[in-house]
Amino acid sequence: MSAIRKWFEDRTGISALLKVALDEPVHGGAKWSYIFGSGLVFLFILQAVTGIVMAAYYSPSSTTAWGSVYYIQHKTSFGWFVRGVHHYGSSAMMILALVHMFQVFIFGAYKKPRELNWISGVVLLMFIAAFGLTGYLLPWDQKGYWATQVATNIMGTIPVIGKYIQVFHQGGADYGNFTLTRFFALHVFLLPVSLVFFLFIHLALFRKHGVTPYWKMREEVVKNRVDPFWPDQVYKDVVFAIGMYAAIALMVFLTGGAELQSPADPASNYLARPEWYFLFLFQLLKYCQGNWLIVGTVIIPALSVIFLFVLPFIDRNDSRYPSRRVPYFGAIFSGLAGAVALTVLAMCHDSRDVHIIHQREDAERQAARAIKLAERGIAPTGGLSIFLNDPISLGEKIFKESCNGCHKLKGEGGETAPDFTDFGSREWVAELLKNPKDKKYFGDSGAMPPVKLPDGSLLGMAEFLVSQAGGLFSKNTDSLEKGKELVMKGNCVICHAIGDPAAKKMAPNLTGYLSESWLKEFIKNPADPKFYGARNKMPAFDKLNDRELDALVQYLLSLSKDRPLVSEGGRSNKVYTCLYPGRLGVY
Amino acid sequence: MENGTSDGRRKFLKVASHAIGGTLAAGVVAPIVGLAIHPWMKETVYGTEEFVNIGKLEDFPIGIPKKMTITSSKMDAWNVFEGLVMGSVWVIRREDNSLKVFSVNCPHLGCGINWGEDVKQFLCPCHEGVFGIDGGKISGPSPRDMYSYETKIENNDILVSYKRVI
Repeated sequence: MSAIRKWFEDRTGISALLKVALDEPVHGGAKWSYIFGSGLVFLFILQAVTGIVMAAYYSPSSTTAWGSVYYIQHKTSFGWFVRGVHHYGSSAMMILALVHMFQVFIFGAYKKPRELNWISGVVLLMFIAAFGLTGYLLPWDQKGYWATQVATNIMGTIPVIGKYIQVFHQGGADYGNFTLTRFFALHVFLLPVSLVFFLFIHLALFRKHGVTPYWKMREEVVKNRVDPFWPDQVYKDVVFAIGMYAAIALMVFLTGGAELQSPADPASNYLARPEWYFLFLFQLLKYCQGNWLIVGTVIIPALSVIFLFVLPFIDRNDSRYPSRRVPYFGAIFSGLAGAVALTVLAMCHDSRDVHIIHQREDAERQAARAIKLAERGIAPTGGLSIFLNDPISLGEKIFKESCNGCHKLKGEGGETAPDFTDFGSREWVAELLKNPKDKKYFGDSGAMPPVKLPDGSLLGMAEFLVSQAGGLFSKNTDSLEKGKELVMKGNCVICHAIGDPAAKKMAPNLTGYLSESWLKEFIKNPADPKFYGARNKMPAFDKLNDRELDALVQYLLSLSKDRPLVSEGGRSNKVYTCLYPGRLGVY
Repeated sequence: MENGTSDGRRKFLKVASHAIGGTLAAGVVAPIVGLAIHPWMKETVYGTEEFVNIGKLEDFPIGIPKKMTITSSKMDAWNVFEGLVMGSVWVIRREDNSLKVFSVNCPHLGCGINWGEDVKQFLCPCHEGVFGIDGGKISGPSPRDMYSYETKIENNDILVSYKRVI
């Protein structure tokens, strides 16, 4: 022992303390079935350290929360990873806590004298749920904002005191700065301190009573086979911990980390969905309407929690054999089956609901747009203000003033020029190819003959043409290649130049068709010989300044449903996995 | 279980636990440190404009210092603050239309320097520092001449690089 270690040891007795901590005898031997509790301790530490470093960047107020999370996610080098670990770590903790609970239940480890181990464990489980609920709001993005509203509204349904509880948690009658400061205080101060307190009790009681081995293990084996906690059990625990961390890290890499939707907009009507582990409660509420609402919001959840709390006192049979505990197995597993069934129902329903699907698409576009806009900095008035100076909004204004008179859009406007509903999408281009003389396109002034090919080929040609501009959702390489061949080797190139941006032929040059630069040149002078030349009927909009022209083009690009609301790439949020039946997903 | 094999096994388990635990700790800590030291890797608070426009050349009389306010926009982490007053400068237009732009802050302790029109000198009111119209130190406790800024003229606009003093 070095002198320094001895000096330290004399004054602290640290190695004696470590001996006490690690020399716990494991009766019946170290087991893989005991890894869940220590796995939870590891996950809690992981949540704590990732949470602390994020707290050094996060700012809890309705004007700063979104911006600071945006900064963590997109402006720092490792923020997206740390935040992703925290996000998936919370789900992992929920899963593992349930696994731990069921392992303890199956082994009958809640029975006398371990009633308080079980009860402190149930308290810890509820803390974990509370962590999830409070953490979800903190980014102040659309989904966190609206999903948490559901939870606080549920608080409001508790008879008599509900409103007071709701206002207390929200910090007011409506969501605002105090909602965030309160949820922040709960999430980073009160809950961690309370959790550590109960964890300490939970572990102290565990140390007092020791492990509960498999119920079939013979008495003498339990008595005689004793492994030391270190290293026999620690080895298994640490292998499990690194396995979990690897799985979490893999999830983060595969999904690009936790999602950040666009800033919370109280004026929008967003269909709220909670995090997956609350989905069963959410689904339950669908069956409890009107006066029955309270059954789903208060009575069933309260009874379930009470059942967990009193389980050790009603199941007083000494035997730990499952065959002797059939009613309790029945009760707890039917509860689990019910929750799983409700969760699956909720997921199935959402994966088929057109409104939800459209909303997710919109939310993804909006999020990509918000992140693009936030790049230039967010005004002190808050995250939502990024949309105020959004070129797309300006572009819409210019379109309505200058273009809509001839170009119809979503049923409104003139008919002398092509309809711009879904302008620039694959279908829009394919239909144009099919029938350019349709009144939706060029009408009688159309000089182009229809392309007489099956719809699939037309879509392929459209795929190729619009893919020149880049930035499409879900590229289809196969049909793109076929389409390219049809365009380049077919009759198109007789009239249209393609490949050389300066070439002039009878019909518009299609090099970079519908790209930003193509649109800009076109709008400035459609009568240019490389476009319509002498056939042109559209006025030139060369009086637009650069900013206005850019805004108009951004707006035109945004009309296509095949494009995200961004003009160029960049690492966008990839999470937003649809929930397919039977598959866990995150949105 | 035999003692010998059990000891060997335990020794292995100890080494393996240390190795796995160490790898795990490193894997957890590395990205966290990476995030924590972000302010070392990237500027978090900065003016967005390299050169700030302070006006047209003809707005400045020849030979008489004129005090100008510098407004610029500032990035503060995720926020952008537009039209923020960053500070003030003394601008002197010379006869050959060249410019000199000084910081108003005295190099001694940062007090605001005034122009004494009667004596044609810069005077610091705090500790009686005196500087010439060229910013050179004449008397007083200042360790150096007045701070100045790089300046350029484009299309008659006077642009000042307010980020760095010279």
